[in-house]
Amino acid sequence: MSQRALVVGSGAGGSVAAMVLARAGFDVTIFEKGANYFTDLASDRPGTVFSNDELKMDRYFSLPDPSSEPRVYRSSPQAPPITGAVQDLPQTVGGGSVHWDAKTPRFWDIDFKKLSMLGPVRGANIADWPFDYDEISPYYDQVEELIGVAGDVHLFPADPTLAHAPRSRPLPMPAGPPQYSSALVSEGCRRVGLHPFIAPMAINSRSYAGRPACNNCGFCSGYGCPIQARVGALAPLREALRAGAELRSGAMVVKVDTNGRKATGVTWLDAQNKPHTETGDIVVLAALSIETVRLALLSGLPDPYDLAGRQLMFHWFTEGSGIFFSERLHNYRGRDHTHDIDDFADPDFPGARKAAKAAGLPYFRAGKCELGGTQRPLDEARSYQEVLRLLAPQKPFGADFKQLMRASLLRDRLCGVELIAEDLPYATNRVDLDPSVRDWRGIPVARITYGPGPSEIAAQAFYLPWVVKLLKAAGADVAIAVPEIASTRFPIAQDQVPATEHVMGGMPMGADPRTSVTDGQGRHHHLDNLFVADGAVFPSSGGHNPTLTIMATALRQATIWAGAD
Amino acid sequence: MTIVPRRQVLKSAGLAGLAILLPPEVLAACSATSAPAKGKPPHRRVGGRTWLVFDAHEADVVEDATARLIPGPQDDPSEAGHPGAREANVTRYIDTVLGALTIMPAKIFAGGPFSDRAGSKLDDMASFLGLTPAQTHAWTRRLATFRGQYRQGVKTLDKIAGGDFTSLSGARMDAILAQDPGGFMTLLFGHAIEGMYSVPEYGGNAGLVGWHEIDWPGDQQPRGFTDAEVSLSDGPDAYVPAGIGKQLIKLLGISP
Repeated sequence: MSQRALVVGSGAGGSVAAMVLARAGFDVTIFEKGANYFTDLASDRPGTVFSNDELKMDRYFSLPDPSSEPRVYRSSPQAPPITGAVQDLPQTVGGGSVHWDAKTPRFWDIDFKKLSMLGPVRGANIADWPFDYDEISPYYDQVEELIGVAGDVHLFPADPTLAHAPRSRPLPMPAGPPQYSSALVSEGCRRVGLHPFIAPMAINSRSYAGRPACNNCGFCSGYGCPIQARVGALAPLREALRAGAELRSGAMVVKVDTNGRKATGVTWLDAQNKPHTETGDIVVLAALSIETVRLALLSGLPDPYDLAGRQLMFHWFTEGSGIFFSERLHNYRGRDHTHDIDDFADPDFPGARKAAKAAGLPYFRAGKCELGGTQRPLDEARSYQEVLRLLAPQKPFGADFKQLMRASLLRDRLCGVELIAEDLPYATNRVDLDPSVRDWRGIPVARITYGPGPSEIAAQAFYLPWVVKLLKAAGADVAIAVPEIASTRFPIAQDQVPATEHVMGGMPMGADPRTSVTDGQGRHHHLDNLFVADGAVFPSSGGHNPTLTIMATALRQATIWAGAD
Repeated sequence: MTIVPRRQVLKSAGLAGLAILLPPEVLAACSATSAPAKGKPPHRRVGGRTWLVFDAHEADVVEDATARLIPGPQDDPSEAGHPGAREANVTRYIDTVLGALTIMPAKIFAGGPFSDRAGSKLDDMASFLGLTPAQTHAWTRRLATFRGQYRQGVKTLDKIAGGDFTSLSGARMDAILAQDPGGFMTLLFGHAIEGMYSVPEYGGNAGLVGWHEIDWPGDQQPRGFTDAEVSLSDGPDAYVPAGIGKQLIKLLGISP
């Protein structure tokens, strides 16, 4: 009789683990807390009810609704708690990858060997990963093949991109059409000595694995793809189902059952809140950092060194906006954006070492910077609603509002730039259970305590002016940059709850049970058959979108588990 | 409706955050007084309308109030040729969301993947989707709160108006709404925005007037755009800063 594997979460990590285990002969059950918005997931091209509908997504179609499934955020243990939506990612079949922008950069060599190659930073738990870039590289290749990544490797900058993340072969598809505004801002980047390139992304530039080419509908980042030209986790999920895995949606696992050093199964609630149990030979947690930690804490998993939930990392973002008077940029067509620069992810970017030293740091980094993107009409209109309170308090509505909508300075004439940047792992940034707030089922919710440290604040101060500079060089008539996460240096983001949607850490991998929660294979240090297959295992956050690395790591780990068992 | 803080709205949220930093004298310099609308606008009510939630008077108040927030040609002479909340049927949109759970399937999530506006023969969006228990829980609470806010909000507007809000001049309505009594104007404006610019299956954006107003093509599947439409410039289309737009630019120009 085959062994039973229970996988919690159907997103990027869980789908990959389920695929590997099902192919290896495990009897796999995947538990997904959220709804299934697809039909016939084992087919080449599943049906879906995702659509080009801004209001539907605003109404929490795929995100957990904070009225029934809130979280709590504090910028420090002393700060007042805020209850609501905190770093929410879709909780639906396919997880965060149903709405991702599908940018698939690789992490760099210095991310995997951070302690060895860059050295310690006081106050942060800088560590090496259990594997290096060379070891993970073939798994990156496999995931890129599986989900269908488009891009022209020979056009990536030799330095720093290929120097830190070398490639041995081309991507399975050529790059899709460049976005007009992304190309425009790329020109500005070149003028100031930066190195823009078309980013690798898991969006079909031609038909691939039975799925069509992207037809540029424009509802990409934040939206489910209506035509399956961007599938993410649905690709490994399809393979898992074809290999016999069972998917249960509306099934929330609320406890990992244990006996000594063994996980014996899970307790789960169906959509009507009725409890069930399931026994398994191995249990895989892949609900992404916050929910995975919440489940570990709800289950009372052994944690002798009080480590579970610590070293939570988000990436701190800086949001740039360039406004162009000369033309409309039609950012509503095509992908969210197409070009990136990697220059700011380089600890040796000109001036960065010196600025770090002046801040008392051995080094700092930002990360990749995404060139392009804008907002849609409902968000645009809400921007003017806010702005008119300041500009016209005596009548913050009416013809002024409509004039702004027609001029479209904050949509059709806007080109966004988003700097994604590395968060260091700090023990004080953590997830625990809120002592009083419960979800609609009556279960304690996750409480997030998070704030940037000296490295993040110094790096942001150094790179924020660069965001303005590159937009100005691109010809923007107005160029501004605003930090997304509050700090003493940038208090203007004070009332904002982090919403970067890059969530890592909490159950970090490492050899030493006194400093890490999982071992080098993602196995829980104190439970021999409990594994973690999501971004919770990241010992550091890198400076790039994490999903490809979540999938490649899950692929490496699950391959080891399947062989070992 | 609560605005979801998430990646797509950060740019605008950042702009609002930026403004908080600015000293009051700078904000005052950015602010200019616009001329109040004169007289009560003539407009025609469609007779015999039925509502899920509103009574006839509530619907009239909501219609007049939202028409002040997003005015059309009948409501503000400077908006000649530019339809507003009244023309987009925003009141119908609001009544539909308030009563969404009285209809099965609930009128919360329009279906997919396509409407019939961009190459599909069928309008999938016209068929609404069933809710999960978690969604039902959330929307039951949310809509009960909204309905209470509307009942109370209309009463408050009438009270400040000395009886009947709809009998006032446009200028007087504006003055009352600008006070944002009990936060009702903010709530109404948020809903008016949704009814103006969302897909018409939700009950507003009648005849797509909201989208035509702003040159927004709306949902594009399954037709999509060509690669050339993505990659090439649409050509020059100069914006000359004036009026409120000029003030916005001035505000944003004072960035750190």
